[in-house]
Amino acid sequence: MMKLKRFIFITIVILMITAFYSYSQEEFPMVDNLIFDHPQRPAAVFDHDDHNEKAGVEEDCSICHHVYEGKELIKDESSEDSLCSECHSLKTTPENGISLRMAFHNRCKSCHFKSNNGPVLCGECHIK
Amino acid sequence: MQESLTIDEKLEPDKKDVIDEGVEAGLSRLTPQKISQVINQVLTKETGPRFKAYVETCMRCGLCADACNIFLSNDRDPKFSPAAKVKQTILEMIKRKGKVSKQFLKDTVRIAHTECNACKRCSMYCPFGIDIAYMMLQVRRICHKLEITPLYIQDTVNSHSATMNQMWVKEDEWIDTLQWQEEDAREEFENLRIPLDKDGADIMYSVIAPEPKFQAGLIYQTAVIMHAAGLNWTMPSTPGWDNSNMAMYTGDFEISARIAQVHYETAAKLHVKKIVMGECGHAFRSVYDVGNRWVGWAMPPVDLVHAIDFYHDMLTSGKIRVKEKYKKTVTLHDPCNISRGRGLHNKARELVNILCESFIEMTPNREHNYCCGAGGGVINCGPPWKGTRMVNSREKKDQIERTGAEVLIAPCHNCHSGLEDIVEHYGVDMEIKFFGDIIYEVMEKTIYQEKK
Amino acid sequence: MHSFINFIMGPMVWISFLIFFIGVIFRLIGLFKQINAKENFVYTYLSFKYSFRSIFAWLIPFLPVSTRKSPVFYSISYVFHLLLFLIPIFLLSHVALLEESMHWSWVTLSDSTADSLTLIVIFSLIFFFIRRFVVPEVKFLTRLSDFLFILIVALPFVTGFLAYHQFFAYRWMVIVHVLSGELMIILIPFTRFFHMFLAPLTRAYTGSEFGNVRHAKDW
Repeated sequence: MMKLKRFIFITIVILMITAFYSYSQEEFPMVDNLIFDHPQRPAAVFDHDDHNEKAGVEEDCSICHHVYEGKELIKDESSEDSLCSECHSLKTTPENGISLRMAFHNRCKSCHFKSNNGPVLCGECHIK
Repeated sequence: MQESLTIDEKLEPDKKDVIDEGVEAGLSRLTPQKISQVINQVLTKETGPRFKAYVETCMRCGLCADACNIFLSNDRDPKFSPAAKVKQTILEMIKRKGKVSKQFLKDTVRIAHTECNACKRCSMYCPFGIDIAYMMLQVRRICHKLEITPLYIQDTVNSHSATMNQMWVKEDEWIDTLQWQEEDAREEFENLRIPLDKDGADIMYSVIAPEPKFQAGLIYQTAVIMHAAGLNWTMPSTPGWDNSNMAMYTGDFEISARIAQVHYETAAKLHVKKIVMGECGHAFRSVYDVGNRWVGWAMPPVDLVHAIDFYHDMLTSGKIRVKEKYKKTVTLHDPCNISRGRGLHNKARELVNILCESFIEMTPNREHNYCCGAGGGVINCGPPWKGTRMVNSREKKDQIERTGAEVLIAPCHNCHSGLEDIVEHYGVDMEIKFFGDIIYEVMEKTIYQEKK
Repeated sequence: MHSFINFIMGPMVWISFLIFFIGVIFRLIGLFKQINAKENFVYTYLSFKYSFRSIFAWLIPFLPVSTRKSPVFYSISYVFHLLLFLIPIFLLSHVALLEESMHWSWVTLSDSTADSLTLIVIFSLIFFFIRRFVVPEVKFLTRLSDFLFILIVALPFVTGFLAYHQFFAYRWMVIVHVLSGELMIILIPFTRFFHMFLAPLTRAYTGSEFGNVRHAKDW
């Protein structure tokens, strides 16, 4: 019984601390990670407009918001109206071999490595 | 505390000060070239991947320390742990590429010959199963090739090489001793024989040379047991009757192999079905495990039965019957070479229970028993090393004393002598006996007749 | 900087594993060649039954008497060796990276679990380090290389731990983490880390001699 009480108490404290931290960090825009059941890391820090300005990709949305037909990339079409998770599910499917986590990671890192700029290590986006 | 202090003062001579004439004379003959040449020859040519694996696998965790009776006897002095003995000998030789000093070699002889019983207990305590006894025997091999083996044990090897027995027993003395025992025993059994060289006998009985030399009564007892059991047995009159093998412990492997070979060839010449051997441990190791391999026999070419196995068979088959069980409380010492070396410890216990009324177990026991402190040729290094051997046997003394038994059964000659020394030196009130002694005492002395 | 990171987290990983595998194969071939040339009697006595009897007996906690003599060291050592493989193989970050480059993936530990387990590894290493000073029989056997082994194993775990918590110098922490991990993998075939492969073999031979020839247990 004592154990249960202590457990509840500790859980509440932890929840309060996390709530406090979540609140205090709210000013940093982040990638929406609500779809992940148990996210292991804090959501990646990402300011859409700021990023695009720095990266000079304001004109071409389809770099990230791409459209695929099967394995074919459809040129000149973009998908900024839909969520990434509409195509990339949590687990890979026969139709789409890129899981959501992988899509996020590879989308950011491949450009950053190519351009020698931007975060590439886990903790550089998932900032604690 | 006061008592242990005085014992320490009496017993703890500076071990470096032991003068062994054989070692000293050998060292004076050595040159630096000879030293490095011999060491490198043994370490690179004679040893192989197994040795290399042992050297390269040890992570120096120190778990072997608790296995070593000599480490425990020296108040856990780190110098005496099995891995430490390797470090102080082999690892240094490897590091210095064989260029070691005479003082180093003097210490090496002391460590390998008198501070390791080659009992293999540590290979049961090393998580990797590293066979440190094997490593120490390689060090002894180096000492042998450098001719710095301790005097007394070297003398037994010289005897082996000249006479094929350990004690310079001459052929006529041997036959004479057997006939003397036969004559004595005929007062008990008028038709008793110790048949010599009986072709096609079922059993060839072999002993170690100290039996005819000092303990002929043991041959008498065996003759009575053989006769009472109605067995068709024989003993060889020619060299090959001695199953002991000190060369195995000095690293003189060539002589060691010859000894085992002559033993088996004698059995083959007599066309016996099997060899039964007396209560000896190292001899068993030699003919069962070591000497035979050197000759090229993976396993003994003739069925080889240790006395424990033989007595067990006699008593469970009823060929020998117990008239009245032995009364005194007994405890049992498991000799390394037949428990850890052959797994005979359970049969030995069954034997004790058949023979004796009350048995007190010794701890640790069976495969985990401590060496008697005399094994591995240590006792054979003789009087110069007796003082240190007594110090190195303190754990054993405590172990046997804890049992509180009146009689200690030690089915091995080496153990027997080592334990006698301990009991005498420390004033432990305990009688040391062989199984043969007890069987002879409690058996029904009628001749077994097979039911038709 | 990006191309350096890309190199150590990409090609260098494969190079490390390649060196590891080639090294291991090279050493094992050398070992068996030597056995065939000088000690082929080993095969006469080697028995599968008794080899595995011995190896399994030594894997059962506290079955061997030796392990009961040093229960603390043995427990820590046992857990340490398990975690040494378990954590890196099932760490989410490692699996995620592997998935992104090779499309291989398997179950993973949660980050918080891995975090606590890593602390156990670090404390084990601290224990080993202190033990080498405190236990006389171990101190006597210890040489500089024994501390180096502890250091080499500690580096990837400590830096991994610090990097995960992003305490300071994050990028450098990850770089040292990756490089020290690769160093450890490369060193396995060429140092006493090779006991990973040799120990089962020495155990098997001793187990066979004890079981097959001597009819005795070796634990």
